[in-house]
Amino acid sequence: MSAGFEHGAARRHLRLLGAQLRLSTLAALEYRVGFWTEGVVGLAWSLGGVVPLVVAFEHRSDVAGWGPWELVLLTGFFLIISGVYAAVVQPAVSRSMTQIRTGTLDYLLLRPVDPLASCLTAQFEPWSLIETLTGIVVVIVATAKLGLSPSVGQLGALAVVLVCGLLSLVALGVLMLSASFKAMELQNLTSLMETLLGFAHWPVSVFRGPLKLVFTFVVPFAVMTSYPAQSLIGGLGWAELLGAVGTTLALTVGARVIWGRALRGYTSASS
Amino acid sequence: MSGVQLRKLGALWRLGVAEATAYRTSLLVWVLATTMPLISLVLWRALARGGPIGDYDQAGFDSYFIAAFVVRQLSVSWVVWDLDGQIRTGALSALLMRPVHPVAHHVMINLAALPLRTALAAPVAIAVLLVTGGMSITTNPVALALAIPALVLAWCLNFLTQLAIGCLAFWLTKAAALYDVWIGAYVVLAGYLVPTSLFPAGLAEVARVLPFHAALGFPVELLIGRLSSAQALAGIGLQLVWLVVIGGIAALAWRRGLRAYGAFGA
Repeated sequence: MSAGFEHGAARRHLRLLGAQLRLSTLAALEYRVGFWTEGVVGLAWSLGGVVPLVVAFEHRSDVAGWGPWELVLLTGFFLIISGVYAAVVQPAVSRSMTQIRTGTLDYLLLRPVDPLASCLTAQFEPWSLIETLTGIVVVIVATAKLGLSPSVGQLGALAVVLVCGLLSLVALGVLMLSASFKAMELQNLTSLMETLLGFAHWPVSVFRGPLKLVFTFVVPFAVMTSYPAQSLIGGLGWAELLGAVGTTLALTVGARVIWGRALRGYTSASS
Repeated sequence: MSGVQLRKLGALWRLGVAEATAYRTSLLVWVLATTMPLISLVLWRALARGGPIGDYDQAGFDSYFIAAFVVRQLSVSWVVWDLDGQIRTGALSALLMRPVHPVAHHVMINLAALPLRTALAAPVAIAVLLVTGGMSITTNPVALALAIPALVLAWCLNFLTQLAIGCLAFWLTKAAALYDVWIGAYVVLAGYLVPTSLFPAGLAEVARVLPFHAALGFPVELLIGRLSSAQALAGIGLQLVWLVVIGGIAALAWRRGLRAYGAFGA
């Protein structure tokens, strides 16, 4: 494989990404009611999920060792993750599932790009990024309120766990997509994932035993919300950081392999 | 009801059962997607490790959230998505031609999935019961007798709310998205994530008179024996009030909507 070919392939993928982003953004601007139905409602949903935390602080001074503003910081990261899920992962996965079901995935496979790249860029919902933007603001406000001045090392750790968290989220999306090749009635897996995401509202230290293991290594919500907050507060050790990277690598590679197998089992619309 | 009418409803029931059976995997994922109360159970059980929160200790949370899971499974319907799609695609026209009222059609289809749904949810509930060491159910015979009408009314409330919002599809293109707003409020205010009695004073009183609580929190508290006979009767009364209000809105929206539907000639 020559370097020129590699270069061409990278350009094609970038052009695909650009085109899909532009189309989705244009569609989103066309349907401005999406600002309310996707953006604001999504944000309200996520903030509604915080109510139990508020109730917990009514009766307790801390939740599993986390103070109120520390949990606000964690909630900020939750909003970022949840917004990315709603804007990027969920729409692309749902759209691709429909294409698998109806057989129009054929057209997608004919494109001169990686089929997975095509599926993951199938659709975006830009309005949902309102949630992510709110999350970023919440993180900044909470960091200021806690009087944190993170060192370069801490910011580096934050960058690493954030990338790990986002990659794991996409990998989970790819796994759901792969499952839908098997049974086309698994369309509502994305709703199941939304329910599970509710766990990410809480610091992982709340959980004990098997659930703690699951949320650290299998469905790593800990990496998505607890670790980023911990990295700023200063409670994230090397072991956790390495664990996050290892889990993400395993999940990403696993998802890619399972996707490859699932795609080989795709029998198109004609069968 | 005449024998002919009953036979028609029987046919719809069989149709509903067949549909539910054909999409059983999908139904199972729906059951799993509504395990939010069990997630809450894990969380609140962990938080109550150091002592009771409000008037709930660990066993109290177990009972509450297992009951919430069961009530949710038994009171669920999905007419809003069906109706939204049928109005948008015009499939409703075919339903209107049939010798059964379309609403009766939806009632039967939704009810017919309940037995299979219960069968799929039962192992989940039993597993949680075994792990947590059981739940307490009310021993008050009045409350126990009222639990059944409370459940039926909860189902009716959910169905009518969905019907009313689904009817908005006669005028809007995104009626089902509006239901997301409703369910968002439901999740927070119905006692799905946390018992409403633990809410801060003031908010608790407001939440407990809203229709969300009538559709979930009230039957749950009744079932696990947290209400006196008088409170139980008052709760049923409140459910009936909301039933009349929401039912009235749904009936109005249906009648007006059909006129609009006919007008644009779908």
